[in-house]
Amino acid sequence: MNLKRKVQPEIRPVVLKSIPDTELFRLKNGVPLYLIEAGSEELMRAEFIFNAGQIKENFPLVASTTNAMLLEGSLNYTAKEINNAFDFYGAFIHQFAQKDSSGITVFCLNKHLEKILELCCEILFRPIFPEDELNNLQKKRLQSYLMNKQKVQNLASDKLFESVFGYSHPYGKQVLAADFKNVTTDKLVNFHTAHYTNGELSIIVSGRIHNETKAMFEHYFGEHDFKSGIPDKIDIPINGSKNKKEFIEKKDALQAAIRIGSATINKRHHDYPGLLILDTILGGYFGSRLMKNIREEKGYTYGINSSVMSLNQSGYKVIATEVGKKHTGKTLDEIYKEIRLLQTRPVELREMDVVRSYMAGEMLRMFDGPFALAESFRAVWEFGLDNKYYYNLADKIKTIQPDEIIGLAKTYYNIDDLYEIIAGSA
Amino acid sequence: MIDFKKYNLDNGLRILIHEDCSTPLVAMNIIYDVGSRDEDPEMTGMAHLFEHLMFGGSQNIPDFDTPLQMAGADNNAFTNNDITNYYLTIPANNLQIGFWLESDRMLGLSFSEEVLEIQKKIVIEEYKQRYLNQPYGDIMLLLRPLVYKVHPYLWAAIGKDISHIEKVTMTDVKDFFFSHYAPNNAILSVAGNIKNHEDVISLAKKWFGPISRREIAVRKLAMEPVQKEERITEVEKDVPSDVLVKAWHICRRTEKDFYTMDLLTDILAGGESGRLYSSLVRDKKLFSDINAYLAGELDPGLLIINGKLMDGISFQAAEEAVKEVIEDLKKIAVPDPEIEKVKNKFESSMVFSNTNVLNKAMNLCFYELLGDANEVNQEVKLYNRVNPEMVMIAAKKYLQPDNCSSLHYKSKKSVK
Repeated sequence: MNLKRKVQPEIRPVVLKSIPDTELFRLKNGVPLYLIEAGSEELMRAEFIFNAGQIKENFPLVASTTNAMLLEGSLNYTAKEINNAFDFYGAFIHQFAQKDSSGITVFCLNKHLEKILELCCEILFRPIFPEDELNNLQKKRLQSYLMNKQKVQNLASDKLFESVFGYSHPYGKQVLAADFKNVTTDKLVNFHTAHYTNGELSIIVSGRIHNETKAMFEHYFGEHDFKSGIPDKIDIPINGSKNKKEFIEKKDALQAAIRIGSATINKRHHDYPGLLILDTILGGYFGSRLMKNIREEKGYTYGINSSVMSLNQSGYKVIATEVGKKHTGKTLDEIYKEIRLLQTRPVELREMDVVRSYMAGEMLRMFDGPFALAESFRAVWEFGLDNKYYYNLADKIKTIQPDEIIGLAKTYYNIDDLYEIIAGSA
Repeated sequence: MIDFKKYNLDNGLRILIHEDCSTPLVAMNIIYDVGSRDEDPEMTGMAHLFEHLMFGGSQNIPDFDTPLQMAGADNNAFTNNDITNYYLTIPANNLQIGFWLESDRMLGLSFSEEVLEIQKKIVIEEYKQRYLNQPYGDIMLLLRPLVYKVHPYLWAAIGKDISHIEKVTMTDVKDFFFSHYAPNNAILSVAGNIKNHEDVISLAKKWFGPISRREIAVRKLAMEPVQKEERITEVEKDVPSDVLVKAWHICRRTEKDFYTMDLLTDILAGGESGRLYSSLVRDKKLFSDINAYLAGELDPGLLIINGKLMDGISFQAAEEAVKEVIEDLKKIAVPDPEIEKVKNKFESSMVFSNTNVLNKAMNLCFYELLGDANEVNQEVKLYNRVNPEMVMIAAKKYLQPDNCSSLHYKSKKSVK
């Protein structure tokens, strides 16, 4: 057989067809229930989101502790009974307390959905925050906090947030070891009452949806008097640190963690899709310039990446890597060199093609299956956006031109605006 | 249930095909039956370093990643003690690109000196990043040589020591390739949006068919002798809290006891309602966290318990408390609802795993490696057969103090 192995078989364009629609169903009390029908297995992912993130807390750790305590005892069940019940029905529960919102995501088989919803209602609205469980939980969390403070990557990331957003902004505020003992039951009860019981709940459901699904959610979540809606806009001024460079000493560290970043636009801004493409070229995939240069050509690191993240009030971008101690200086030089190149030299068409195709493939993965669909829906919904954002991004991936990328690099990657944080041994 | 078809090529490559048209993607997975257990004890870390070299260009294609990115694909790989596993997901209309690339690197690598030197550096940084520069990152590096004295599981896939990686030469690389990488030492699965099985089989015949069989190095692994006395070792490191790690030798992956031990492990630590967490974290407040798991090796493997001690708790108190939980399993039959709980949890893990074509492709390959891909659909049955008596018998058989090795990983700061 005459097989031409050197000749690449034809590559066909990667096309994102339509994104499945999300149905909005309002419960009697106004709580929005978003339903995404997807997948072939009889299972469900349900995410309960409250406008109760760190941005709402008046004392450090209160948002995350309130969330962590949801499974630690309720009016009708002890902590053990709650955990046992979730495990018995084979459900997986993920608790989250982020900068803008908090809540839980549960994954369960449809045959156990009713039981799981009853439990979710119980833990979300009738937690009692027992003192004993709180003390124990705080000891555990302090331990893991202390462990994280031994990792150069955490030292550098934490400092970056503080530098970028300022130490007094909720996005930049640092937790101290002493904060753990100052979290009291009273503070948790107050936070829970304000931001869960009387808060704003939204529910995103994906999986196999049946006739009775809505009725079940109505029964457990439609009776109470809740408010609802997307996170409101709070405008706390962002005052980044004046020091653009920070070094955090970690004795005997074999590698240094490097974080370079700054505040930037979020998904609501029309330049955001273009910025995502620029970021992908710089450090957003395995074939990115930073990976090729610093890992694949120089071998300074196991990995380097850059990313752009959206927050409700702002956004940020960050270049992150851990490098062998002796390579720190050279790595920094190469990172800035790559940024300057993007600001001055047009990206060649071949590279544009690679990035366009790679990102088009990623977009297929973003809508593949019930879990990915729900995550992608949430990622625009929290900004008051919808699937138009994705169609717009898909279009930008196809049409963006090299000169536009130069413009974006000049506007959003101004080197003088970037913070440079290094954690490692001197 | 994963419905699949199996097809064997003349050169020994086994192919498993599963159709799932709920996704626009196809997952392609290849297992090579080689892991760190197949390494020379003086050149450990070779299988994993080799995995890196597989991305450094092949005989006819200088660059592996770019064509995949052009095709909208995503790919990666992992190496463990038993296997090396390569995987990708690709939009269905570009599946041939996956076959073109995977078959060429099975045919032969670029064997470039430059690639070898760079990948050695990258692996050394990986060694530092994941194992040496993390608190507790070296636990498995310390535990393995305590538990195993002769079987090659005594080293981790990353290797015993950075110096082993540094000294690898191109001759070593070529030897390794030609004695382990071959169609007759690999299993391929293709799962996802496949309209026609025949198309996949023709692609496989076209691209993998012409690759000749190779002589595979005969696997002669030293059998680990039965452990006859309890082993304890202590290290002191700059970490915030003490950690207790305990490991017991158990059966092979393919023995029936494996399923019993897996459920027994879930009884101990399947979620927060597991006995270890419930009793030692919640009630007695001796640990801040504790977990138990099967390491999942193919040769006789390990059940490992790993717990972080609360400040002020001694290793002795921690050891006694763990022992009490273990002894309970031997004395009192596990109540039916608790067995039902761990079976339910297993059932839902299976259903969740099957929502993803890549998981299905990986599972098919792995079960075929174990002996028969059909077994992937028998798992639920095998777990359901487990009863309280079997758990008790297995606990008595394996969870003996003489069969146990313990690592006391001590915080330098702890004053007791």
